[in-house]
Amino acid sequence: MNPSLKLALTVFIALEVSFAQVWTVNVALIVVSLILMLINHVSFKRLLYLTLVPLFFSSTLVWSLSLRGSASPHFLLVIFTRLFVYVYMGGLFTQTTDPLMLTRSLEQNAKLPAKFAYGFLAAFNLMPKIKAEVATIKAAAMMRGQILHFWSPQLYFKVILAAMNWSDQLAAAMTSHGFVEGAPRTHALTIPLVARDWWFFGGALLLVQVGLFSGLR
Amino acid sequence: MKRWHIRDIILVTILAIFMGVIFWVIGPLYTVLAAALAPFGLSPLANELLLGIWVMAGPLAGFIIRIPGAATLGELLGAVVEMFLGGIWGASTLISGVVQGFGSELGFIFTGYKRYTWSTLVLTALTTTIVTFTWDLFRSGYAAYHVPFLLLLFAVRFASVFVFGGVLTKLINNLLVRAHVLPNATH
Repeated sequence: MNPSLKLALTVFIALEVSFAQVWTVNVALIVVSLILMLINHVSFKRLLYLTLVPLFFSSTLVWSLSLRGSASPHFLLVIFTRLFVYVYMGGLFTQTTDPLMLTRSLEQNAKLPAKFAYGFLAAFNLMPKIKAEVATIKAAAMMRGQILHFWSPQLYFKVILAAMNWSDQLAAAMTSHGFVEGAPRTHALTIPLVARDWWFFGGALLLVQVGLFSGLR
Repeated sequence: MKRWHIRDIILVTILAIFMGVIFWVIGPLYTVLAAALAPFGLSPLANELLLGIWVMAGPLAGFIIRIPGAATLGELLGAVVEMFLGGIWGASTLISGVVQGFGSELGFIFTGYKRYTWSTLVLTALTTTIVTFTWDLFRSGYAAYHVPFLLLLFAVRFASVFVFGGVLTKLINNLLVRAHVLPNATH
């Protein structure tokens, strides 16, 4: 499925589920996501992780809601299954979507300005350097007998300075390679957006709506 | 008003990645805290205590980049990073990212993107708390809690957002201003 449409579908359903209180729809979404993940060969270890973590959080949430609140058993069931919907649908999305394809699709299909698409990509490619920089800063501070925690302003200060340096350099590098903001672009790789994507998107949304309305009655 | 250029976009993304890494690193801390509080039915408190760290990307980006939308974009990208690093909450992370970012953004909107002082931070912390709390009333079923417990949750959340999104952000900002790296900042 087209990555942009898949993202839109996932976010829209998650938003609806956050407000609706129909546990049968939640269970249906969980089952469908699970089947799709199995078809897409998501590893067993990942599936186990995606099950145990929400199981823990759902249980604690339901426990505190029943201890400290006045929630009906029906509402507790809705909340319990809701967290699984988030996690399973999110798992399905991240396990079947390549960030690079998603960015390209957002640029080509969702008309995200190219400066954002390429700005994001440029920065995301620095991920290993960013992690290494954090480690370097911590190590350098330790040599002077300082320990930097996640609440130390110094840590953030130094990382922000590095981020400012890098963004200057990257922006200059992109300009010198001929990147012009707002200029028309051609694409070496086009992300298809075909009728089938739209049918799938519309069909899935319709099914959820039908489920929600029949569940609410 | 300043517009987005490629340098700002890269900067906000790098900041978001850094914050995303932090969000991700404190994930286990959250789990341990939630587990410790769970037997007493207090596990939502773990969320409230740490929420300030999760929402920090918003005010920090807003203070450093000072372009409309910086807080929202910073927080949203932080959520994207967390999601692809292996955070498990998926699409719900993205929605929370937008909600939290927009909550911080409101504080900057109310001050017209002109004042970057303590009062802006307090306002930002307040709008963030109110917006995210309203969201949790629905999403996490907070509306079903008894009122005194709800007030406790709200107070703890505000304290956390104020400490991390307010005090810590201001301290970082002070260092940056002293280093003269914020071009349009005044003392």
